[in-house]
Amino acid sequence: MMIRILIVDDEKPICDLIDLNLSASGYHCTSVQDGLKAIDLIEKDSFDLILLDIMLPGADGYDVMDYIRPLKIPVIFITAKHEVKDRVKGLKLGADDYLVKPFDVVELVARVEAVLRRYNKTDKQLSAGDVVLDLEGRRVSKAGKQVVLTNKEFGLLELFMQNKNIALFRETLYEKVWGDEYISDSRTLDLHVQRLRKKLGWEQNLVAVYKVGYRLEVPQ
Amino acid sequence: MKFSSKLLLCTMMVMAIALGFSGFYFVNYVFETSLFREAGQALDENSILCFAFETAALNVPAKYDVLQDNTVEQIASNLENSGQNTSRMLRLSDEEKNTLYASDGFETDDALLKQTDASTKTYRTIYLNGHYYIQTGNTVNALDRVLYLETLRDVSEVFSEREMGFRVYRQVTMIILVLGTLAMYLISSLLTKPIRQLTRATKQMAAGDYDYRAKKVSSDELGQLTLDFNQMAEALEENIGKLQDEIQAREDFVGAFAHELKTPLTAIIGYADMLRSRRLDEEKSLLSANYIYTEGKRLEAMSIRLLDIMVTRHGQAQFQEVQTGYLFQYLHDMFQNKEDMEFVYAYDEAVVWAEGNLIITVLINLLDNACKASEPGSTIEIRGRTVREGYCFTVKDYGIGIAEKELEKITQAFYMVDKSRSRSRNGAGLGLALCAEILALHDSSLQIESTLGKGTCISFVLRKGLQERCDDIHEEIHD
Repeated sequence: MMIRILIVDDEKPICDLIDLNLSASGYHCTSVQDGLKAIDLIEKDSFDLILLDIMLPGADGYDVMDYIRPLKIPVIFITAKHEVKDRVKGLKLGADDYLVKPFDVVELVARVEAVLRRYNKTDKQLSAGDVVLDLEGRRVSKAGKQVVLTNKEFGLLELFMQNKNIALFRETLYEKVWGDEYISDSRTLDLHVQRLRKKLGWEQNLVAVYKVGYRLEVPQ
Repeated sequence: MKFSSKLLLCTMMVMAIALGFSGFYFVNYVFETSLFREAGQALDENSILCFAFETAALNVPAKYDVLQDNTVEQIASNLENSGQNTSRMLRLSDEEKNTLYASDGFETDDALLKQTDASTKTYRTIYLNGHYYIQTGNTVNALDRVLYLETLRDVSEVFSEREMGFRVYRQVTMIILVLGTLAMYLISSLLTKPIRQLTRATKQMAAGDYDYRAKKVSSDELGQLTLDFNQMAEALEENIGKLQDEIQAREDFVGAFAHELKTPLTAIIGYADMLRSRRLDEEKSLLSANYIYTEGKRLEAMSIRLLDIMVTRHGQAQFQEVQTGYLFQYLHDMFQNKEDMEFVYAYDEAVVWAEGNLIITVLINLLDNACKASEPGSTIEIRGRTVREGYCFTVKDYGIGIAEKELEKITQAFYMVDKSRSRSRNGAGLGLALCAEILALHDSSLQIESTLGKGTCISFVLRKGLQERCDDIHEEIHD
């Protein structure tokens, strides 16, 4: 069953941007630019997740929220307001997460997956080819056979499998996997990717992208 | 110490000192007078006794030519007992001032006696055995002998009267002071009431309650001060209100600006990110590139408008006389290519005092807005006419109109009544804000009348050129 996501933002370009990215990650997206239309849609259709802007024509995000709450649909606020009080207000109203404009596509996808996982709406497993990654058990298997990975290797693999066919920048990979840790050698990343390739037999799939980083290529 | 207490204390001190002095002076004056009278009587009595002694001496059988000492004693004893009151006390001394006879208790020294001689009567006040006396001294001439007669007159009463006077006066003073304190307390608290009112008002204002006013309770200098204070508070409240409005406006502006900035930025960053990290098909690549382009354009339009506003706000406009015909012709030329609207021009020729380019910007913005609000093919009227205050420009459309509650917000920066509609026509929500800034520079403002669904009429008035203003004044004088 495909996961259905409703995108509510008054800016068409933003709606399209989110739509394109989430569709590529395998979600089914619908987008509206008006609060009242969003309420109509929410009452008529069923969604697994709603991405909601706060400043909307018709009815604003907080109003729309009132209609969503009884339906217990998870919500991620998308907002240009970065002040703490705005974020707190959104979270208090029952939003599960928030995304501050401008946002990275990788961050959008990661947050969507995190919220869906919390609601048990997404698989606990990611798979690419014959490799299966069990997020809860933190186990990886290839063709049914368990593969032992280090923590960092597991994080890297998770990121690649969440963003299939997307070139991931070195800095993004560093940021997401190593966080704030100090990395003495920029070859650390390359080393980890090498190890992953070897352990999973992915010499052809984990492609180095010139001047960018790496991309996991799997047939769609 | 409170001012009213100070006032009270000072008044009471002055009152106490004044009462004390006057009381002392008064009681003492009465005492001195009484004592002087007593002294007179004592001297009189002494004279009478002298005369009586002399008479008695004459009546003594003249056994001897010289008055004998025992005779003197005899006479003195008689004199002492002859008075109605038994307290008469006297002393007789001979030529050498040796005592011949003295009454019981006449125990004073002879200081007075030494001063007494044939020609002077003397007296003094003395204190003896718990009594005050007036001692008088006189000479008696009896039968060739010169004797000295002294008397004592008890004047204790005068002294005790003085004591009594002081005591009574002290009591009266105390009562008056107590009553005076009460009265002064009331008076001083009444007098300082305006000060207390002002203090309360000051405290209230310091605590942020700017609409609190002190009550005016008197019409003296303090009342005037209260009035002045309230006036100051009024001005202060007004200024603070203005300041808060300004801060609010600035915050709104920054908030709106951030929002308006972030939206195109999000799109540009997002699509660019997609282009660089995904293998997109041609259709999606084009879509992304197009969004980057249009959102970039939007940012450009916004930054230009913002610059316009900032330049207008800080720049020095070059005011000059502008022919209105020129302005309308410019508009006509500019909008004649726009064939889907019908523009109707009607204007009086006049000269206005303005910065021509800025006014053209205003008119273009208003016309743009009118076009955006109208369906293709509808009419837009552009009028100019001379009015009493100057020259009035009007742009009227028959489009969608503006709801009443939106009217006051539409000149705010980034405010758009219908976002999606405005966006699709490349609006940034800054046009009317710019117009308002420009007109503020001309001491003018936008007058907006609108009915939802029927259309909008926006007008503003400019001052006329110098020459025409002079003409008007002449006409008025001649009328």
